[in-house]
Amino acid sequence: MAKKVISKAIIIPTGDELRAGIVLDTDSPMIMQILLSMNGSCNITRNEPLLDSENIIIDCIKGYVANKVDLIILIGGSGGGHRYSSTLGKDFTHSSLDRILKEKYFSELYGKNGHMWSKLICGTIENTVVINVPGPYQEAKAAIEAFKKAYEKDNKDLKQININMTEAVKAEYGNKLAVNY
Amino acid sequence: MHRNGDIAMKDDTKIIVQVDKTVVKVTGLEVKGLNIQQLEEIIIDKLKSVIRIIGVTGNSIEMDVYGVEEEDILREEDGIIKAISLADGITVSDLSALSSVKKIQSVDINAIPEYIEGGCKGERWQKR
Repeated sequence: MAKKVISKAIIIPTGDELRAGIVLDTDSPMIMQILLSMNGSCNITRNEPLLDSENIIIDCIKGYVANKVDLIILIGGSGGGHRYSSTLGKDFTHSSLDRILKEKYFSELYGKNGHMWSKLICGTIENTVVINVPGPYQEAKAAIEAFKKAYEKDNKDLKQININMTEAVKAEYGNKLAVNY
Repeated sequence: MHRNGDIAMKDDTKIIVQVDKTVVKVTGLEVKGLNIQQLEEIIIDKLKSVIRIIGVTGNSIEMDVYGVEEEDILREEDGIIKAISLADGITVSDLSALSSVKKIQSVDINAIPEYIEGGCKGERWQKR
């Protein structure tokens, strides 16, 4: 199978706290590094952090799709957030993707209290692949590394890419409860 | 549905991760330019257990603490505040405190609230 090389990628962090400079964005440089390991000549753009708003996120994605980019990665906003607790951040990334992706696969990770920790989506609009990763650094890293591995194996199998990303994130939540000293 | 160890998985790709955690909120802070990774490492070193920062505002942080009981966290309040003060981008004051420490309660995994895809936000709020 001919492997589609990612030549043009967009990283879109989301979150009011990033935009306000309350929190530093350490995810984007890490993701950029992994994308470059897939293709050293990839043209990568990091969009400014978007406010937590479905319409803003959707308009931004549509703009890049019109420019025929190969891959869009959204960071953060993947959990239940405000829908579960009013004190948590507003999580609109996955609901935005739900609305606009044509072909899509998703997986949801819940805590035992019913709170949705993360909803990961992998889909396409026209010829652009769109994925999201959780905001916490370790989970974002696990997700994007799993994406790389699955994409390089079969870039057409979006469902398997989604499953692999979800399994990687789940491992971060479930298997690292004890810190070894 | 099948079970694999402590993880229950449904065929519709909804996965329940059966992990105990306590949600801790610290208020009375001044936060600007916080490196969450650094803060997590500092608190993990203090509590000797995994934590995840799940929410940050200009004056508070909220985190999941795994494998530590509520009482133990409350007993360590002063130490936790002091540890937090070591992170770049956080300033503590006399008002800094653990304003909430709550262990999560289990729910019936067959009763996870759904939300309507593309539905109105208000409706989702009510359903949650």
